[in-house]
Amino acid sequence: MPGITQVRWCGFGGQGVVLAGLLLGQAGVLQGRYVAGSNSYGAQARGSGCKSEVVFSDGPIDFPHLTTADILVTMSQAAYDQYCTDVVPGGLIVYDAPHVTPRKGPDARQVGIPATDAALNKLRNKQAANIVLLGALVEMTSLVSPSAVERAIGQHGGGRFLKPNLEAFNTGREMGRQVHG
Amino acid sequence: MLPEGMYYFSGNDASAEGALAAGCRFYAGYPITPSSELMERMAARLREIGGVFVQMEDEIASISAVIGAAWAGAKAMTATSGPGFSLMQEAIGYAAFTETPCVVVDVQRAGPCTGQATKVGAGDIMQARWGSHGDYQVIALSPWSVQEMYDLTVRAFNLAERFRVPAMLLADEAVAHLRETIKISDAKEIWDRKKRTGASPFGTDEEDGVPPMPAFGEGERLAVTGSTHDDWGFRKTDDPDVHARLVARINEKVLRQEQAIGETESSFLEDADTAVIAYGFTARTSLYAVKQLRKEGLKVGLLRLKTLWPFPESAVGRAGGCVKRILVPEMNRGQVAGEVRKCVRCDVEPLGLTNGEVVPPDAITDALRRMAR
Repeated sequence: MPGITQVRWCGFGGQGVVLAGLLLGQAGVLQGRYVAGSNSYGAQARGSGCKSEVVFSDGPIDFPHLTTADILVTMSQAAYDQYCTDVVPGGLIVYDAPHVTPRKGPDARQVGIPATDAALNKLRNKQAANIVLLGALVEMTSLVSPSAVERAIGQHGGGRFLKPNLEAFNTGREMGRQVHG
Repeated sequence: MLPEGMYYFSGNDASAEGALAAGCRFYAGYPITPSSELMERMAARLREIGGVFVQMEDEIASISAVIGAAWAGAKAMTATSGPGFSLMQEAIGYAAFTETPCVVVDVQRAGPCTGQATKVGAGDIMQARWGSHGDYQVIALSPWSVQEMYDLTVRAFNLAERFRVPAMLLADEAVAHLRETIKISDAKEIWDRKKRTGASPFGTDEEDGVPPMPAFGEGERLAVTGSTHDDWGFRKTDDPDVHARLVARINEKVLRQEQAIGETESSFLEDADTAVIAYGFTARTSLYAVKQLRKEGLKVGLLRLKTLWPFPESAVGRAGGCVKRILVPEMNRGQVAGEVRKCVRCDVEPLGLTNGEVVPPDAITDALRRMAR
């Protein structure tokens, strides 16, 4: 399987983990990449562990689940603690600062993005933290293009959610640019 | 119908769209993880295209409504998971004996009982075949990708219509919740049940053993009963010949077509000394593992079962005749491994995992390396 990038996005049920994975995957599809997305969640609607995994490839994907993450996005401490060591050497860990505290150990670039705080204080909408993180991730990597994500948001987060989602996405992009330089 | 093109769908989405493409216009169901998204999509889409969607009070009512809709002339389906599938078994026997075409999607999760509702399993394989009492046949298909959630749902409807039999899509949580790109094309073969004015609805001289099927309201005389019945549907509850003939026909009309119904796919089997026989999501992992081991020079291959019932005995028997040993990884404690053993003489090793997770690639490569030693 040539040119594979594996993204693991995790947190609690209710944080929009599955939607973030869906938008990321849909954006990849819109750019013509092979994508396999899968989710795992607990029996409770909110509050149990939740993860969304997206595998991007230049060719057909044999095994569609993630093996080791190239990029890990964590929205909870529990998720960080569980998955921070399952990242390829030199990979990227993005965490929701300051609600997640990183530790020394993972051989990866670790970047804190205050997504929940920005969603609360700037956007007045805690639910938008996932989209803020998505915006930051898009700026920090060349995984998918911003315009592809915007189209994906139009498909899956449109209607009355379109404007707040795009606002959150742009807020996240700005934060990502500051980190990325 | 959806325009032709590429879509990023979950398996559940794809199965719903496949059903609509096959002509399904009636859905009755009761939501259950991990199949609920299929029902949700049907609720939205059947309304758009002018079909009927009913949320029933439970799974017994759901399958019963589906059977009723089929006799009203509709192509009808329901979807569920293990616990609901258990409740449906009595009516599935009724559908088999009354030769009612219908489609049941079972998105398998980790059982038994309520088990782990959001986790994966494949423990319903035997239940699909033997869940109701008496001797009867069903057809069961096993998708390994989102594309096949679509394609095999279409095929399930076609086989149900062609053979007047309950057809099942035995999916698993991993495939139903997987999201992948799929291609939707207008070019597909669609079967509709035979109709013939004045013909008997429960007996035929035709070679295929499948009688024409009228619907209520079409002017035919029609009585449908789960008791033993003659060619015209009259109850014959103490005639041994009628019972023997009917039971033989509803079984033989499916079993005689095992090779036509049974679809399998071979990879790297030509020179293999060890075969993996797998189905559903596990077949996907198996192909990945086989490709890894081929790079190491191990002569391993894969026979993937796209049809589980009737069991593809011919293809499995042929594969078993060419290799020294067979590994059967599955997310249960050896349900298909036992069927494979009936068809082959070589060694068959089950690799059954029941931890609510998919069988990981390493478990398959480790087992194959050990078997090769």
